[in-house]
Amino acid sequence: MRRGSIVQLVAIGVVCGAGAAAVALLIPWLPDPASKQADRIDFVFWFVTAISIAIFALVAAVIIYSLIKFRARPDEDMDGPPIHGNTGLEIAWTAVPAALVTAIAIVSAVVLSDNGRVSAATRSHPLKPLVVNVIAQQFAWNFQYPDFGNINSPTLKLPVGYQVKLEITSLDVIHSFWVPEFSQKQDAVPGSINPLVITPTRTGVFPVICTELCGLGHALMRSQAQVTSKTSFLSWANGEQKKLAGPPSVSGKALFTANACNSCHTFKPAGATAKIGPDLDNLAAEAKQAGQPLDQFIHQSIVSPNAYIQPGFPSGIMPQDFGTRLSKAQLDALASYLASGGKQ
Amino acid sequence: MTGAVIAHEPTGHAPSPSSPTGWHRLLAPGWLRVPWMMVLFFGIGAGITCLVRWAEGWYPIWDGQVITTVELAAVPIGFLAGIGGFDYWVRYAIGSPTRPEDHSGHGAHSWRDYFRINTDHKVIGIQYLVTTIFFFVIGGMLAMLMRAELAQPGMQYVDNQAFNGLFSVHAALMIFLFVIPAFAGIGNYVIPLMIGAPDMAFPRLNALSYWLLPVAGFMMLASFLAPGGAFACGWTGYATLCSEHQPIGAVFFNMSVQWAGASSIMTALNFLVTIITMRAPGMTFWRMPLLVWANFTTSLLVVIATPFIAGSQFFVMFDHVMHTHFFDFTAGGYPLGYQHIFWFYSHPAVYIMMLPGFGITSEVISVMARKPIFGYRLMALSLLAILVLGFSVWAHHMFVAGMAPWLRVPMMVTSLIIAVPTGIKVFSWLATLWEGRIHLETPMLFALGFISMFVIGGLSGIYLAAVPIDIHVSDTYFVVAHIHYVLFGGSLFTIFAGIYFWFPKMTGRMYDERLGKLHFWLTFIGFNLTFFPMHYLGIQGMPRRVADYVPRFADLNLFISIASFGLGASTLVFLYNMIKSWRFGPVAEANPWHSLTLEWQVSSPPPIFNFDEVPQVVGNPYEYGVPDARHAVFNGDRAPELEEVQH
Repeated sequence: MRRGSIVQLVAIGVVCGAGAAAVALLIPWLPDPASKQADRIDFVFWFVTAISIAIFALVAAVIIYSLIKFRARPDEDMDGPPIHGNTGLEIAWTAVPAALVTAIAIVSAVVLSDNGRVSAATRSHPLKPLVVNVIAQQFAWNFQYPDFGNINSPTLKLPVGYQVKLEITSLDVIHSFWVPEFSQKQDAVPGSINPLVITPTRTGVFPVICTELCGLGHALMRSQAQVTSKTSFLSWANGEQKKLAGPPSVSGKALFTANACNSCHTFKPAGATAKIGPDLDNLAAEAKQAGQPLDQFIHQSIVSPNAYIQPGFPSGIMPQDFGTRLSKAQLDALASYLASGGKQ
Repeated sequence: MTGAVIAHEPTGHAPSPSSPTGWHRLLAPGWLRVPWMMVLFFGIGAGITCLVRWAEGWYPIWDGQVITTVELAAVPIGFLAGIGGFDYWVRYAIGSPTRPEDHSGHGAHSWRDYFRINTDHKVIGIQYLVTTIFFFVIGGMLAMLMRAELAQPGMQYVDNQAFNGLFSVHAALMIFLFVIPAFAGIGNYVIPLMIGAPDMAFPRLNALSYWLLPVAGFMMLASFLAPGGAFACGWTGYATLCSEHQPIGAVFFNMSVQWAGASSIMTALNFLVTIITMRAPGMTFWRMPLLVWANFTTSLLVVIATPFIAGSQFFVMFDHVMHTHFFDFTAGGYPLGYQHIFWFYSHPAVYIMMLPGFGITSEVISVMARKPIFGYRLMALSLLAILVLGFSVWAHHMFVAGMAPWLRVPMMVTSLIIAVPTGIKVFSWLATLWEGRIHLETPMLFALGFISMFVIGGLSGIYLAAVPIDIHVSDTYFVVAHIHYVLFGGSLFTIFAGIYFWFPKMTGRMYDERLGKLHFWLTFIGFNLTFFPMHYLGIQGMPRRVADYVPRFADLNLFISIASFGLGASTLVFLYNMIKSWRFGPVAEANPWHSLTLEWQVSSPPPIFNFDEVPQVVGNPYEYGVPDARHAVFNGDRAPELEEVQH
């Protein structure tokens, strides 16, 4: 190989590499990280990207150079030189990629182990680490705080700067918990509890997304992670605990959102617009169709949703355990809230 | 299509048995026997089911869900029996005299011969390819519907059930009814010719394995007509969504996979026996073309792995229909068990869909760069390395699934190591190009397009193998981008390369080169505009398998949808070129590419039994540039004086 052709090949490679690097650097690929784990994952991402750009540039350069230099003329009937191989080259392109993937494996394994580690060996304080039970079901998230009297929240509330250990499970099918800004993801599997460690590094509101296909409402199975200061987190948690200690909430509207009715149903007074289940603005007409008095129809539809299925909707989608989750007073409050069109 | 009729009548061909007349035609194998056989087997299936339910006292005796499941097994048997798939074996089994093989089921003399049981591997190869392209077009149209829905956030054209059905059936058709059998089709046509054999080892089994395909494909499509809608749990069909929360359409998927899988296994066994036992004299393993090596390793993967997906689909179906509890956690089942069994097939399936493409690329690159394949033995050995490693990486699909945490690092290491043999192949192709005399005909364009796109897909695969990055991007559009770079930019490009490359051999006519190049460039550009932006969507936070998404992704999704319609339209150029050239294309020479391998040493299309005289293999298949090198000689070549003596 002549020196001139090496220079040309390297020049093409540099141009290809620069182009790929520009694509990698000028486009903001990664979401703005909001957890320690995301920072580490971003490092692996850039480590792999650097190696990928080099390999891409090499391959592109050889293809482009060959297409320019080694094109045959249309009617040419010549063969190339009969080169059958080159042991040195073949060893090199076995050994170098092997070394590169070994490096990637080591970096990844270290980051994986760091990201899964819970810092405090013994828990001296409910925030070291904060434990949150994440309960997924079609098509809603429920977050429980066992160290704060088992308070419930449809959104994930976290204090900034404190490590949190999520214990994730599901009541029906497989779901997956993901917050892009945290870069951490874990499937919610019925019958098992899967841990996930997150240390939020900045305050803000981030989307919680279900990434495992879980049925008709999969695209809408979303919630929020609300990261606040430690003081506002604690005042929220203590306030909720007090409410829980008092008489159970019997505000129909609060029950409607707390039980995530809005993730499947449309109900204008609560600002709900989902279309997985029947439209609750038309309850009176639907009760007539079912041939039941309105109040009885609503009670039955909450407690045993499969007893009557509105035509055009599949059965077996709505959770069947609201009868045990809600007290009698709560059930009555929710039913009268719905029956009155949101007035009570 | 009459232009494609094989002209060579072999000497000494036994006359066809006289065609049946009158009502006897209803008894002879063929389309007249199909309808009543299907009805008969429907009756048998329903009868046995009702009898068992009545005897056991299970009410209602006529249960739609159970009957449907049984009929998805029974009616296809009726179809296959009607078309004549079992005739020879049934005679043998019941002790009546078998019909001696008169080769009347060989060759195609009119287009009708493509619509009956045919035992000629060349006819079966074309049957395979035309059928798979049919399902490819349907699968592509499903994708267009999906992109129409995704052009804007919110719901426009379809509801959630229909959308979930669209992407599930799209993927299932593309994988089980297009990529896997399209490679089987190319292999069917080319492999016996390449190794100097007159046909496949088991021609009747070959015919049967083809006819299982339309059964599987139409069953998959019929799930759209099932009450409750098509199966909507993704082609991965994860329990417990697929085992407990799906309409009856899910069973259509479970059973269709069984039929397609049975077809794959039969074909793979046939390839293995053919390659091991029917090579021409002198064709040692180290003289086999790399496509033969590739089909050999692929067939090993198929026979070892496919039973696992069959098992996983049966378990899910039993949970769904018979209320067993394989994956029902409330009764002690284990939902992740499904994923382990499923991926133990479906990861090797990635190589089932890729290795034949590697083989095709090796053939095309060597012939069209006019150079021997660089590092031939290492190329063959790296196929075997991928075969072995391919069975040790399945759980890299489950890094976030909640499986045993210790499994993650070993599975990451093996997944990354697969990059080494794959890299060897890519670098060897590049070295083959180096200093070659490159002819940029359509097959070469697709082969080079494949290498460049597959490198991008392989590199995004490194991201997915590295556990921390995978945790961020798994189940997002990044994965959608990755699988399309390896299966569209990878497998599909090599299928196109193969079809253009062997088109003159199969049809005896040349395709239109200008349209071929137009097809390549439209596909190449449309492909990148469609799929490259998906990497960004995924990393930023768009999950896959959703009909609705947050408004900030709207512009990019609209762009992708428009690009995808262009990509879809490029297929029309391909179809027009194929149909027009098959009928009216200029007659092809025997060896338009000046290739050394055996399939090009016979006429285009080849004689009915491939070789009028047995070739003697004397050298390696890729000796371009070596003066006077021969891959094979025919008797007539070697000893002309001997022939004169015989006269």
